[in-house]
Amino acid sequence: MRVGSTIVLLDGYCYQSYQWKMMRPLGKLQRVIDSLEAYHCDEISIIRPIRINDSEESFKKDIEKIKKINCMTPLSFGGGLRDFKNIDLLHDLPIERLIFSSAFINKDFKLTEYARNLFGQQAIQCLLPFTIEDNLIKIFLSNEDKFIPIEDMDLAAINENANEIILYDTKNESASNQFDEQIINKLNIDNEKLIISGGIGHLNIKKVKRKNIASVLIDNKVLHKEYSIKGYKNG
Amino acid sequence: MFVDIVDIGSGNIKSIQNWIERVNIPTRIVTNVKDIKSKFMVLPGVGSAGPYMKRLKKGDFDKAILEHVNDGNRILGICLGFQLMGEFSKEDGGVEGIGLIKGSVEKLKNTHTHNGWEKFHLMKEDLGESSFSSELKLTRKRIINGRVFYNHEYGFVLDEECTYNKIISDKYSDYSSLIVKNNVIGMQFHPEKSQETGIDLISMIL
Repeated sequence: MRVGSTIVLLDGYCYQSYQWKMMRPLGKLQRVIDSLEAYHCDEISIIRPIRINDSEESFKKDIEKIKKINCMTPLSFGGGLRDFKNIDLLHDLPIERLIFSSAFINKDFKLTEYARNLFGQQAIQCLLPFTIEDNLIKIFLSNEDKFIPIEDMDLAAINENANEIILYDTKNESASNQFDEQIINKLNIDNEKLIISGGIGHLNIKKVKRKNIASVLIDNKVLHKEYSIKGYKNG
Repeated sequence: MFVDIVDIGSGNIKSIQNWIERVNIPTRIVTNVKDIKSKFMVLPGVGSAGPYMKRLKKGDFDKAILEHVNDGNRILGICLGFQLMGEFSKEDGGVEGIGLIKGSVEKLKNTHTHNGWEKFHLMKEDLGESSFSSELKLTRKRIINGRVFYNHEYGFVLDEECTYNKIISDKYSDYSSLIVKNNVIGMQFHPEKSQETGIDLISMIL
């Protein structure tokens, strides 16, 4: 199982995000990546926590920052990949994998197919930001700024079109050991395709290791406890 | 010395450039075959076999690569770039490769994908007088003990005796991880994203 980290990036700067609502500045992207790389982080997912009002200007600003990254750790990037124009801007970036959320939820497989032709099927990841309330799973649809019931989604098509699926617990993001593992059993998706994130701690990792999960992504925090990646690997 | 990196519009060119420049060797991004001038070329590999080969052919890079190798120059193919140096790939309904190495590419058995890190051990002695010529003597290391990063759904099945052929792991023993055939090097993993091991490798190759 890989042990990676998420980086929340908005308007060129990194943040620690709390429950996808509050943001605490962490600093420059290259500095955060350097720190994670020094601790042999297995992979890094750069996510733009965008909402309905995402702008082309903000997207381009973040792309410019990513273009300048110099790193030797596998990178994925997502948040705002909503049309062909966005995908075309990615070709010159030091990233290997792309993260789509709204496209998968809205069944816009033309967009993911376009990306597949440029980056390959192994590069396509699906992000499902979720919350569980009263035993009901809801998925956040960022381009409409709302949670929708998971039953409204075509999970079989997502399973077929995505190489890996990131389950992002928005309610427990930034908390320790609070990732809601119920979701792993409730979705009918191969565990070896799943990446989990949002509130991951040592206890979560111990448990999910037995479930043959592909990867865990630890929230990037201002206190830098997440940097003792070795501790997580041997946990 | 400088390194030419083939750019046909697929992903992660910048990572390859960063990787090579970390050992202080300049690079040039080549989008036109007329601009190929280096004795060492990199064929990067993030993409899908069908569209990738189509773009290679459209720019006449397939012929230029053969010419480059026949003239005794070295080439390094990475991931998809490596796979398309073979004869045939089953990806995208079947794609004819460049044919620098006898072998074919098939969907990985018993799994839908192979994403992650594998242990990597390499002794320079095992490679003989091969493409790991270390012309620039960037390192004195003769042994690499580290880990490398994979991200692929298809694997390369070698069909000839080469100077060197290393399998991915016991689980993926049908598939090649690193092939050296005279002046041709193929890597299924991503050395440009393999942290220290990637640096050790490029220092040893150049």
